[in-house]
Amino acid sequence: MRSLLSDHHLRFLIASLVVILVAAAILSSGQFLDPYNFQSMAVQVPEVGLLAIAIAITMISGNGGIDLSVVSIANLSAIVAGLIVRSSLGGAGQGTLYAIAFVVIALLVGTACGLVNGFLVSKGNFPPILATLGTQFVFVGLSVALSGGPSVSLGETEVFSQIGNGVILGIPIPFVVFILAVLGFSWVLTHSRFGFRLYLLGTNAKAANFTGINNNTIMLFTYTLSGVLASIAGIIIASRASSVKWDYGSSYLLIAILIAVMGGINPSGGWGKMLGVVLASFALQMLSSTLNFLGTSNFLKDFTWGLLLLLSIVLTGTRLSGFVKPKPVRDS
Amino acid sequence: MKKVLLIGAGLIVAAGVTGVLAQKKWTITTVVKITGINWFNRMEEGVKEYAKTSGNNAVQTGPAQADPAQQLQLITDLVAKKPDAIAVVPMDPATLEPIFKTAMARGIKVITHEADNQKNTLYDIEAFDNVAFGANLNKRLEKCMGGEGKWTVFVGSLGSKTHNQWADGGIANAAKNSKMMLVDAKQETSDDADKAYEKAKEILTKYPDIKGFQGSASTDVAGIGRAVEEAGLNDKVCVFGTSLPSIAGKYIETGAVDGIGFWDPKDAGIVMNKVAQMVLEKKAIKDGMNLGIKGYEKVSVTKGPGMGKIIRGSAFVDVDKSNYKNFPF
Repeated sequence: MRSLLSDHHLRFLIASLVVILVAAAILSSGQFLDPYNFQSMAVQVPEVGLLAIAIAITMISGNGGIDLSVVSIANLSAIVAGLIVRSSLGGAGQGTLYAIAFVVIALLVGTACGLVNGFLVSKGNFPPILATLGTQFVFVGLSVALSGGPSVSLGETEVFSQIGNGVILGIPIPFVVFILAVLGFSWVLTHSRFGFRLYLLGTNAKAANFTGINNNTIMLFTYTLSGVLASIAGIIIASRASSVKWDYGSSYLLIAILIAVMGGINPSGGWGKMLGVVLASFALQMLSSTLNFLGTSNFLKDFTWGLLLLLSIVLTGTRLSGFVKPKPVRDS
Repeated sequence: MKKVLLIGAGLIVAAGVTGVLAQKKWTITTVVKITGINWFNRMEEGVKEYAKTSGNNAVQTGPAQADPAQQLQLITDLVAKKPDAIAVVPMDPATLEPIFKTAMARGIKVITHEADNQKNTLYDIEAFDNVAFGANLNKRLEKCMGGEGKWTVFVGSLGSKTHNQWADGGIANAAKNSKMMLVDAKQETSDDADKAYEKAKEILTKYPDIKGFQGSASTDVAGIGRAVEEAGLNDKVCVFGTSLPSIAGKYIETGAVDGIGFWDPKDAGIVMNKVAQMVLEKKAIKDGMNLGIKGYEKVSVTKGPGMGKIIRGSAFVDVDKSNYKNFPF
């Protein structure tokens, strides 16, 4: 707990969450505290939350790391899986086999897309922002070509629809998936050799190389993981909407970047915690739901999100800048 | 102590009863595809007017970005908030099926507009029968052409269901008159005014004696109008199509476009809310009913693709140079 509060970003995020929650409870005269509302918010967080984690790990890898193709990977993997599963298993089984086949195919597509990004960034040595901007358009193009444009309905699928709409012990399944992903990545980042090397690479690529780390392998792995995470988001989206479409979540990319940065991920690499990303995604979701509850204009939502990000930069900025460039040493 | 409790309980019951007896104010939320564009601003006028006249708590909301995901998130929050009814203009009907199902399970009445393929809705409201709308446009074109000559029809894309229904309605109408000669039917314009302009120029070169154009995408008549105007044929060629005064007004003024047709989103907004109220008051909407709004005086009610029904009005608005300024959208 002490370490929680000693971190500027986490402190800011926890404070924001408390302020938003109290304000929402008062303004909605308690209606906001209905357990159903918390369930409903928990259903909404994972899609963009998973994309934010994907972006966070690419940012941590440094070298201007970012993955702009996450939303397009999510949609492409869901569209490919949807089309294959629907045509091969559509009539026969809406059951477990359908669900498993969908998930496996989507994860494979996500892995493949991530590998493409990884190769471009590591072996190809392209700047990540350019490489993933390019692949983003390629993946969107493929999605449109495969689906023909309109949304592909998956129909009534019993087991598969549980992934996005089901509940375990009162907790929505997408939220369980999200939390499992978060715990998994937290462990990987803090306890595994990969995690250690990733932070080292992000902090100083040259130094990492001299210590015998194969930077290209780490990069390849990072962008592939990002693709896999994106495809998990795609699976949840497809299940929740019981359909797949190439432009679903087109507004998610900037929100995911916003969450990553607000969560304390250093865009220059080498620093950031999963917990920060999770709290930032909660804060934005709660803010957005509060405004929807109060029935305010949705432009106000964008405005308040931006304001929260600016506040987070201002209030926690000292630490960030300290990491971006070393503080000048003063002679006395 | 017991007495106090009894009196207290009595008061609560009494308050409850009077609360029920007093006319209940319904909360109805209209959700549009995107906030801040002319079409849905006009719809909001209707929602506000309904709120004022009915006394119900009716408001309109919609995502700031045109993204089906944002609309889904917004409706998810609304379902948690639990208004009595929601009236939705879906960005993508398929995306919203599961949340509509959840909403209805939670006791929220769901009404939709422009979504005749929506399964999980109680009533879907369509402003008109698309084939009849296309035929009406063509009748105006026929009249303008003096009942004879070569004409053609554009569609935004061959995949667009409504565009094809409008075009087919027009073609069927013209087929009744042997003097109306259809040439190069259903050219695709990709909902792009520049493409429509190029296509219209090609047609004008290929058929110098062409007398009529019927557009489908809202941008079609703007493109055709530009081509007709450049060729100096404002008085010789008739141009009709689906569009809005804000898009085609310029060409209607010069006479390059002779008339347009559309439906008024303001009326659609009022009708959605009225239907929601009727559902909440457990009144059934029957075939031939008068909903009290122009164009919806004698609606047709048919079975929808799911459990719900489709209500169709005949609310097309015919606009030409004389009245286009009355519709500021």
